[in-house]
Amino acid sequence: MPASPLEKDVAEILIDEVTLQAKVTELGARISVDYEGRRVTLVSVLKGALPFMADLMRSISLPVRIDLMEVSSYGGATETSGQVRILKDLSSAIEGEDVIIVEDIIDTGLTLHYVTEHLRGKDPASLAICTLLDKPARRLVDIDIAYRGFEIPDRFVIGYGLDYGEIYRNLPYIGVLRPEVYGGE
Amino acid sequence: MNEDPRFAHASEAELARILDYYKVAWQYEPHVFPIRWNSEGVVVESFAPDFYLPELGLHIELTTLKQSLVRKKNRKLRHLRELYPMVRIKLFYARDFRALLLKYGRLDAAASLIGVDGQPPPRRREAAVVVVGPSGPSGVGEPLESSLPGRGGPAAD
Repeated sequence: MPASPLEKDVAEILIDEVTLQAKVTELGARISVDYEGRRVTLVSVLKGALPFMADLMRSISLPVRIDLMEVSSYGGATETSGQVRILKDLSSAIEGEDVIIVEDIIDTGLTLHYVTEHLRGKDPASLAICTLLDKPARRLVDIDIAYRGFEIPDRFVIGYGLDYGEIYRNLPYIGVLRPEVYGGE
Repeated sequence: MNEDPRFAHASEAELARILDYYKVAWQYEPHVFPIRWNSEGVVVESFAPDFYLPELGLHIELTTLKQSLVRKKNRKLRHLRELYPMVRIKLFYARDFRALLLKYGRLDAAASLIGVDGQPPPRRREAAVVVVGPSGPSGVGEPLESSLPGRGGPAAD
């Protein structure tokens, strides 16, 4: 397969595909043990966590439901005023369900804090957080992370769902974007 | 949440907008922490972190200016943490703020928000503040008095 034209924008591969998939399998196995005998609902916030959730759900040997949410983001389009809002809410009720929020990356924690409070209001039986990447350098809200894939340094990462300008999500690994691409230092 | 607190720097206004957007309550410079006293017990230096997030119990200090001022901030922060170990405070440097702007697709605004370009014209600041003494059981410190700059010790920066 020819090299992707996206790869010229990658400064380095932080987490390669093999390591990623091994970790996803491990997280799935842990969830399967912790929720044995129960059904779990995986909730992913579009769009970055999609690849992670698709692989994670296939590593879980339990009955699994999946659902998707979309939340507005500060700075998106012209959003520098107003407040965060749900652009797409869950399709199914989660009252009484064991819910796991599946995140691609936790940075400041602001979005996840809002999503968590929103989902708590729907009375799930339990609510846990599973994140592929944890970047605590600028964490503003303490987040209780039940399942953590990797703690990463303060780098701008792309791939495996993470984007810059909606591009690079389809890279199969976690890479560091070249600063020249986004005008960084 | 304060109304129109007249931020000292554009980066503070931007952070306030981000916090507002994500419905995180904030207060602007509500606490002044004395960090140095003279031999007579008079406060000679204090530190007022830029933001306090009351629901999270977290103070945030933004520093996006030149390196010499960053060194001064670091020293003050070290003193604060030694004197008030229960106070949770996070220091955002220029690189942290720039990373936030990148995260939210606002890097194009960095030039106007970071550094000298983000400073408004000099003004006289007259906001009332609560002066906080050494940490009490709450960890935040017990209010000593309400003071305006010029009374009860030097104004914090």
